[in-house]
Amino acid sequence: MRTIDMHAHLAPQCFWKATENGGNWHGITREQDARGREFAIIGTERALMIPKTSWTPEQRMMDMDSLGVDVQVVSPYSTFYNYRLDTKTAKATSEDCNDEIYQMTQTWPERFAGLATLPMQDVNAAVSELERVMTQMNFKGAMIDDKINGVTLDHPNYMPFWKAAEDMGALILFHQAGNTVVDSRIDRYHLPNTIGNLADRTITFASLVFGGVIDACPDLKICLSHGGGYTCYGIGRLDRGWTVRPEARVNISKPPSEYLNSFYYDCIVYTEPALRYLIDAVGIERVLFGTDWPFDMEFDWPVSWILSLTSLSTAEKEAILWKNMERALDL
Amino acid sequence: MRTIDIHSHFIPESMWKTVDTGSDWFDIKFQEENGVGFTLSHLGKDQVPLPKLRFTAAQRIDDMNQQGVDMQVVSVAAPLYNYHLPADEGIELAREVNDEIAEMVRLYPDKFAGLATLPVQDVDLAITELDRAVNHIGLKGAELDCIVNGSNWDEKQFFPFFEAAEDMGAVLFYHPQPNNNIAVQRNGSYSIPNSFGVLLEDSLVAATLIFGGILERYPDLKICIAHGGGPACFGVGRWDRGWTVRPEARINIPNPPSTYLKKMYYDCITMSESALRFLIDTVGIDRVVLGSDWPYVSWDPSPVSWINNLNSLSEHEKEKILCRNLESLLNL
Repeated sequence: MRTIDMHAHLAPQCFWKATENGGNWHGITREQDARGREFAIIGTERALMIPKTSWTPEQRMMDMDSLGVDVQVVSPYSTFYNYRLDTKTAKATSEDCNDEIYQMTQTWPERFAGLATLPMQDVNAAVSELERVMTQMNFKGAMIDDKINGVTLDHPNYMPFWKAAEDMGALILFHQAGNTVVDSRIDRYHLPNTIGNLADRTITFASLVFGGVIDACPDLKICLSHGGGYTCYGIGRLDRGWTVRPEARVNISKPPSEYLNSFYYDCIVYTEPALRYLIDAVGIERVLFGTDWPFDMEFDWPVSWILSLTSLSTAEKEAILWKNMERALDL
Repeated sequence: MRTIDIHSHFIPESMWKTVDTGSDWFDIKFQEENGVGFTLSHLGKDQVPLPKLRFTAAQRIDDMNQQGVDMQVVSVAAPLYNYHLPADEGIELAREVNDEIAEMVRLYPDKFAGLATLPVQDVDLAITELDRAVNHIGLKGAELDCIVNGSNWDEKQFFPFFEAAEDMGAVLFYHPQPNNNIAVQRNGSYSIPNSFGVLLEDSLVAATLIFGGILERYPDLKICIAHGGGPACFGVGRWDRGWTVRPEARINIPNPPSTYLKKMYYDCITMSESALRFLIDTVGIDRVVLGSDWPYVSWDPSPVSWINNLNSLSEHEKEKILCRNLESLLNL
């Protein structure tokens, strides 16, 4: 049995190398605090870089071996989306990052596939970079935030991006950068992550569905990380909104629940009943193996966990661990 | 077995009398557009289901009879909380609302129980009014918003309030703003704030009370969260993971968040059988109660028949949800 992890991040070596000895990577610098922790300094932001984010591909593969992960579909580190920086800088960091992922997929084609990062603050630049990685570098798609400088992806400006992604067969993985919708309410107890990620994914589902993006691009491949957040559990109320509120029907002629199986979802829901619920709601062919490597919110021993679940059949475990990804991404 | 509904809304006659003369009622305007009524509060616009929210108590009872609901626990429509008011106006609003609810309960003690609204912008006044509501005019507790003028419920200023509510045995029913809520800032289109923002608010208040240590500090507090607590029961695995790996998630609670989720109550407004089954299996059958969201949700034919027709619930579970859990929570 193969195992393909579609949710595994990379802070590129080019960042680590360029920022050694006080250097900078397209203006991004690095500093250590008194405890020796590394921080990336991006404009006014200060982002903690945990030790594993500096690992080389060789170290990464050793960790994959210990976890039983055969292939990582490597995606960028969301801290380096750089949507707030000028397009030129974001384009440069995106290209650097994508080139490095490309090198990994060339050197170890049986261990790595790639998802790009894109300068989404400029739709044309984002489409160009997506085209470069898809047509010249055999990428599988890209990872983007739920909002681009505050704007959700149902905004008409992004329709050319969606059309291009659909045409290229690119899988778009949604994943928040630092702030989520919860930050404005409460920043305690890790809630911006533990609720915010789930909320952001649900708002993305709702925005793309109610906004008519899925109807306009029916062959679009989208994956909502963290199991799509609250989407599958809250879908009943989204359907009710569609039924009783005219503004929910302006773009779509069927209820949101009909779109659940138009998306992919990773399996990062932490409990067996929640995973079973997700599978039953969206269909087994729509659930993909993901770990959130290498962060503290990842799964412990993710392959073993999936294999140990008694409420999943062997066929379902195989579908999640590799078959769905093989089919969706031609891996 | 009687059926008891924890989640049914109310607009006081005093508001209708005031807005009918063209005046504002505590900063709230009423307007009709194309036959649809709206309140306009400092937070924004909210649709008012008419005619039902102008029903007399007798008309309301007729409607309950048609729905097979024997008793409603009445609480004010959330857009009327008005926590932004100066405290002296806030207490005046609360007394007007609570006196009307108390009068319904007095006239029809078999048909209605009541939850107060409180001027929580002033914690001392809120405690005083909760005491009056529970100990003097026969209400069962209070209905609360999920956020108080930007303050979260885990803040120290609210500790005396929770202590008082625990002492009084008052039920605290959390119900968010239906439209003008946290989702607006991200995407206010397509009714997303109503269809999802409400659920997000419900799960946020559950998490705030849990991680803030309110349930740890006040273990006998009776808290019920509307709309099944939103997706709290589904997302709690991630909360537990956060508690496991992040020290800041553990500062107030020695046990994982899922432990505390089982200490609160949730209405059954989950919008699907599978979601209700999941809620029951996560929090326990003792913690799920009948709610209808009257008259905002049009049940066909009724919330009671919905529960009664669910194949995945045992008769015992149906009885717990429809009657027994609220009988014991409210001492009915």
